Amino acid sequence: MLENLDDKRLIFVTGKGGVGKSTCAAALAEALADRGRRVLIVETDAYSAISEILGAGDSSHKRVELKKNLWGINLRSHESLVATLSRFLPSQKIVKAVVGNRVTKSFFDSAPSVGEFVLLDQILLMSETETPAWDHIVVDLPASGHAVTFLSVPQTLNGMMRDVGPIAKRAGEIHAVIANPKRSAIVAVCLAEEMPVNETIELAGKLERALHRGMDLALVNMVHEQPFSEDSLESFKRLAAAAEVQNNPASILMQPDIEPFRRWIAGIELARQWHERDLYYLGILHDRLERVVELPMVYELNERAIVSTVAGHLNKGRA
Amino acid sequence: MTLPLTSVVDTGRLIVCAGPGGVGKTTSSAALGLEAAVRGRKVIVLTIDPARRLANSLGLETLTNEPQRISMDAIPGAKGELWAMMLDQQQTLDDLVAKYAPDKGALARSKKNNIYRLLSSTLAGMQEYMALDKLHDLYTGGYFDLVVLDTPPTKNALDFLSTPGRARQFFDDRVMKWFIPSKSASRGLFSRVFDPGSMVTSLLGKIFGDVFVTDLVDFFDTLSFLQEALRTRGEMIDFILRDDGTHFVVITSAESRRIKEAVFFHEKLGELQQKAAAFVLNRVIPNFDEADLDGLDPLKVKKAFKAAGVDDYAQLETAMRAHYSELARLSAHNREIIERFAKQVGKDRLCTVPLFGDDVHDLSQLRLLASYLVDRL
Repeated sequence: MLENLDDKRLIFVTGKGGVGKSTCAAALAEALADRGRRVLIVETDAYSAISEILGAGDSSHKRVELKKNLWGINLRSHESLVATLSRFLPSQKIVKAVVGNRVTKSFFDSAPSVGEFVLLDQILLMSETETPAWDHIVVDLPASGHAVTFLSVPQTLNGMMRDVGPIAKRAGEIHAVIANPKRSAIVAVCLAEEMPVNETIELAGKLERALHRGMDLALVNMVHEQPFSEDSLESFKRLAAAAEVQNNPASILMQPDIEPFRRWIAGIELARQWHERDLYYLGILHDRLERVVELPMVYELNERAIVSTVAGHLNKGRA
Repeated sequence: MTLPLTSVVDTGRLIVCAGPGGVGKTTSSAALGLEAAVRGRKVIVLTIDPARRLANSLGLETLTNEPQRISMDAIPGAKGELWAMMLDQQQTLDDLVAKYAPDKGALARSKKNNIYRLLSSTLAGMQEYMALDKLHDLYTGGYFDLVVLDTPPTKNALDFLSTPGRARQFFDDRVMKWFIPSKSASRGLFSRVFDPGSMVTSLLGKIFGDVFVTDLVDFFDTLSFLQEALRTRGEMIDFILRDDGTHFVVITSAESRRIKEAVFFHEKLGELQQKAAAFVLNRVIPNFDEADLDGLDPLKVKKAFKAAGVDDYAQLETAMRAHYSELARLSAHNREIIERFAKQVGKDRLCTVPLFGDDVHDLSQLRLLASYLVDRL
């Protein structure tokens, strides 16, 4: 399922909050690591979800080995800023002066796009310079922002600076990597629900317009399976109709004093409706996007186990 | 039991919905707005989420920067009015510049500025800034009885409340404090630092290019006349947010990481001597209960399957039991998380909304959602 990511060193994973973006990014990284690739997973939020998900300590701005072949790092924007400035300023003393000064600090905190730029600069730097080289760097993009805005920052910044000066040049280099589907991949995580599906289709269009490139993969998380074998469907429908649970079964389960049999049928009817809805939205995604991979709902309670199960699923059918 | 938001929709003047993204925040905001409108109030729902979710929820193609009336014809007995609008940040900022600029050419000049053109709406804090500005207009405009504000899905959403002096401080501290020459002093910190030839200016010029620095100086200069206007509004917003008619609702899901974020909002509000009127837990797996399976009467099961014309039902029954059991495990886990959360914030303020079998995308589904938040008349 991951064949088209095989030769992509940079993999950007995006998705709205609540769809399991970090879980899927972790699973994707683990799946690639399980194939013997050397993988680094990068977080760009102050709050580290990945280390929690993958069961490691806080990986703030330090590389942490999460398991065989898999490393994680949580890039903080302040540390990234210092690291990036150090490369563009003549001496450490000046870097200190710039970062320590209240006014310039304020400038960097509020100046548009600086945060995004330094993060992308650091990520690209890791892919260019670290040895042994990473086969894949999986970037868990921030959930709150918008992927296209984030990934367009180098291009925008380069434009704002009219391609003058070292930062503008670097921004141009980063943009060249992001805009080139041979050098980087963009993976969108969504749920099989109306709004996430619409947003993912919109995202694919925006990527074409803003970056003139496509989306490499849409991962549909937590797809509900049919609760029984497909040839029992008609039988079950008759059963559900007789028990009168087809209209809003969720509310039947929320009510007290409903007898066990009716609750049981209502519960399975609800699960069937979840599955039916998922199929409908999956159909829309498949119609509109080329590469869609479905990830099943995993009935595990522990996040670490969920990630491993999903990673295993991503590697399924591979010799 | 009385649901905690019942009196809020009947008498509140402002409902601020906060919480992490992707948990149905916008949909819940719309449901609360609709419920209040059905009960006879004039309501506007203001959303800032650029994903245009509210429009989807209300079955509208697009929302504009102007309030749009939403038809409630499909709901018999609906007495009030429901309006909605989505914040167009760029438009809001343009309007502000046009309104407060000392001369008529200011907007045109701004639009030529590279930075204004490309980034004014994505500047740190600008989203909250513009939302509060619109909120101010809608709240003080006098037409609406109730404003429902759907905040951006970030932890910063409550930043404007977070310091003494709150909103006013927010306007001072955020985007422009250091860049805008103060009115009293002819030479503010900004102009001192960005004096042509100053060390910082030439340094920044070396890194970012001179053109960029010049554009940036112009950009902040353009916005400087907004400061006074925004400051006055900030004071007003401070006042609004502390009013008795203002209620905070934290919306989240029962997933453990989302709950953590909700606790964060809860604590943040506590620090501000504010209190959430309710915590809405969306997308909860309803009460599947393992005990239901033990309580099944085999004779009754057999009869029901036979009556439905399923003679050979062993395989179907086994699959149904197994699936129910898996969901019961998940549901029990969910309930544990919810109970722990209830101990932290108080059970009486919790609203639990199940994960429905269908998406919420029309008025009747919004009303179904609302029935888990507000007692029906």
